[in-house]
Amino acid sequence: MFKLIQNELLKIFKRPGTFVMIGLLILITTVAGAFIKFQSSGGTVPDNTEWKQGLQMENADLKKQMDELEGQVPAAELTYYKEQIAVNEYRIEHNLTPNVDYSVWEFVTDLLPIIEFAGMFTIIIAAGIVASEFNWGTIKLLLIRPISRGKILVSKYATILIFALVLLAVTFAYSSLLGLVLFGAPDTSNPYLNYHQGTVKEQSMFVHLVITYGLQSISMIMLATMAFMISAVFRNSSLAIGISLFLMFTGSQITMLVAMKFDWAKYILFANTDLTQYFEGEPLVEGMTLTFSIIMLVVYFAIFQFLAHFVFKKRDVAA
Amino acid sequence: MSAVVEIQNVTKKIKGKTIIDQISFDVHRGEVFGFLGPNGAGKTTTIRMIVGLMGITDGDIKIAGNSIKTDFEKAVKHIGAIVENPEMYKFLSGYDNLVHFARMSSGVDKKKIAEVVELVGLTDRIKDKVKTYSLGMRQRLGLAQCLLHDPDILILDEPTNGLDPAGIREIRDHIRMLARERNMAVIVSSHLLAEMEMMCDRIGIIQQGKLVDVQLVHDFVNGVEKVFEFEISSGERAMEILKPTYPHISFEMTSSGLAATVQKEDVPLVVKSLVNEDILIYGIHEITKSLEDRFLEVTTEREGVLRV
Repeated sequence: MFKLIQNELLKIFKRPGTFVMIGLLILITTVAGAFIKFQSSGGTVPDNTEWKQGLQMENADLKKQMDELEGQVPAAELTYYKEQIAVNEYRIEHNLTPNVDYSVWEFVTDLLPIIEFAGMFTIIIAAGIVASEFNWGTIKLLLIRPISRGKILVSKYATILIFALVLLAVTFAYSSLLGLVLFGAPDTSNPYLNYHQGTVKEQSMFVHLVITYGLQSISMIMLATMAFMISAVFRNSSLAIGISLFLMFTGSQITMLVAMKFDWAKYILFANTDLTQYFEGEPLVEGMTLTFSIIMLVVYFAIFQFLAHFVFKKRDVAA
Repeated sequence: MSAVVEIQNVTKKIKGKTIIDQISFDVHRGEVFGFLGPNGAGKTTTIRMIVGLMGITDGDIKIAGNSIKTDFEKAVKHIGAIVENPEMYKFLSGYDNLVHFARMSSGVDKKKIAEVVELVGLTDRIKDKVKTYSLGMRQRLGLAQCLLHDPDILILDEPTNGLDPAGIREIRDHIRMLARERNMAVIVSSHLLAEMEMMCDRIGIIQQGKLVDVQLVHDFVNGVEKVFEFEISSGERAMEILKPTYPHISFEMTSSGLAATVQKEDVPLVVKSLVNEDILIYGIHEITKSLEDRFLEVTTEREGVLRV
C-alpha cells in the first residue's frame, strides 16, 4: 500500500501543474501580505485610551439596529449583532483592549479564506486522479498488476488526503512565516474571544487557528471526496471539477436559502460541513447538534466511497 | 506441454449483444499463439478478458490454474501485457515509468529494471521523458514494462502496429527469443497476416466473436492438397486433354500455363499425360499459399456458411 501511495505522489509531483498550484498559494499569500502591510494604517492600530466608551457606543448602535430588524429578518440574521455585542461587553468587563498591534496571528486569521484555494486545488487533483488514468490510457497497465482494484482506489484516495495536508501545511507555515517577518510576533498574548450560544470564552490564538484550519478542511475533504467519486464513476475530470467547484462556491449559500424555508435543509451536505458553527456562533437550523452533523458527514462519506468503489470495481475497461 | 492459459467456453455479452460467443482454446509454454481476425471480430475484447480488464459473462479463463474471475491477483501476476497501444505516463521518464510499474509487482529490484532496459535496447534514452520517444521506443518501453516481473505469459495486442520494418523485425525477434529461451507462452493478436506467419507457431482465427479455426501455422498455410503451376506451351490444349483424364482434379488457366490442385503423388501422372501429347513443359512449381490467402479463404467460407 505504501508503494502505491508513493506511485501516486510521484505522478502528482512530477507534473508542473502541481507546482503552479503551490506557487499560486504562495503568491496569493504574499500579495495579501503586501496589501495589508502597505495599507495606510500599515496594519497598526492607533492607541486609543477611550476604547471602552467607543465600544459602549458601538453596542448601543448595534442594539438599536437589532431592535429595528427584529421580526423583519430571520433569527439567524441577528446572530451577528448578538455576537458583536457579547464580545464587546466581554472586552469591557475584562479590560481587554481591541486596539492590539497587528501581528502574525491576526495576519493568519485574515488569510483564512486562502484555505478555499487549497481546497480548490485539492478538488482539481481529486477530480483527475482516477479520470486521468482513463484519459491517458494508462489505466489498462495499472489494472493488470497483481493488486486488486479496491486497493488501487484506496491508495489514490489516501494520496488525495496527503496532498490536502501538504497544501494546508504549506499555507499555514508560509502565512505564519510571512506574518512573522512582516508584522512580528505579538508582544502580549492576545486571547481570541469565542462567542458560542450566548457565552464568550477566551482561547489562545494559536489553538484557535489550528482548530479553525482543521474544521475548515472538513468541507475541503468532503468536496474532494465527492470529486473523487464523480471522477471514478464518470471517468470525466472536467465534470468532477465543474460540479465540485460549483458546489464549493454556492453550496453553503443555496443551503442557507433552503434552510430559511425548509427544515430538511439540515440533511444537505453543506449544512453540516462547517463544524465551526458548533464552537462559534449558532447552528444553521435550530436543533442541529455536533453529533448530528458528524453522523451526516459519515453517511455522505460512506455513500461517496461506496459509489466510487462499486462502479470502479465492476467497470469493463475499454478505454 | 502443459497449458498455461486455458480459455473455457468464454462468452461476453454487452447490453444483450453477444460480442464473444463460446470461445475455447489453450496456450502452452514455449509457443507463440497468434490471434487473427478482421477488425471488430473480438480480438481485443478476448485479450481484455484474459487480463481481467473486462468481466466474463459466461465460462472461465484460467492462468496457470488460477481463475482470473475468482483469483485475480494470483492469476494476473503470471501475465505481462500490452493492451492496444503501450500508453505510458508521458510526463515521466522511461525509467520512472518502469519504477512505477515495478513497485506494483513484488520482487522487482533496480538490477532487474536495468536488465530489462538493456534487453529492449533503451539504455541510452531511459532517463528521457516518454513524450520525447518515438513510437518504436514506446513499443520497446511497453515491452520492458511487461517483462519486469518475469511473467510466464506475455500478451501483446497488435505489437507491431505503426512500426517501421526494422522495428517490426526487432519486436518479432524479441518475441521468438522470449518463447524459445525463456519458455514463455506468448499470445499475439494482429490483422497483419504476413507478420503472424513469421512469428507464430499456432494461430486461432476469430470472426464475429466466434473462434473459426485453431491450427499450426504450417498446416494452416499448406492444407493437404497443394497447388502446382505448370509452365507449358499451350494451356488450352492441355485443358482439353487433362480435364476428361483426371475428373477429380481441378485445373485452372493461368497466364503462363495452368494451375492444378493435386496431391504430390499425382504430379508425375499429369506430367506424363502432357509429355505424351507433345506439350512442352518449361517448369513446375508449387504455389505456397500465404496466410493471407488462407485467411481470406477461411473467413469467406465461414461467411458463406453463416449467410446460408
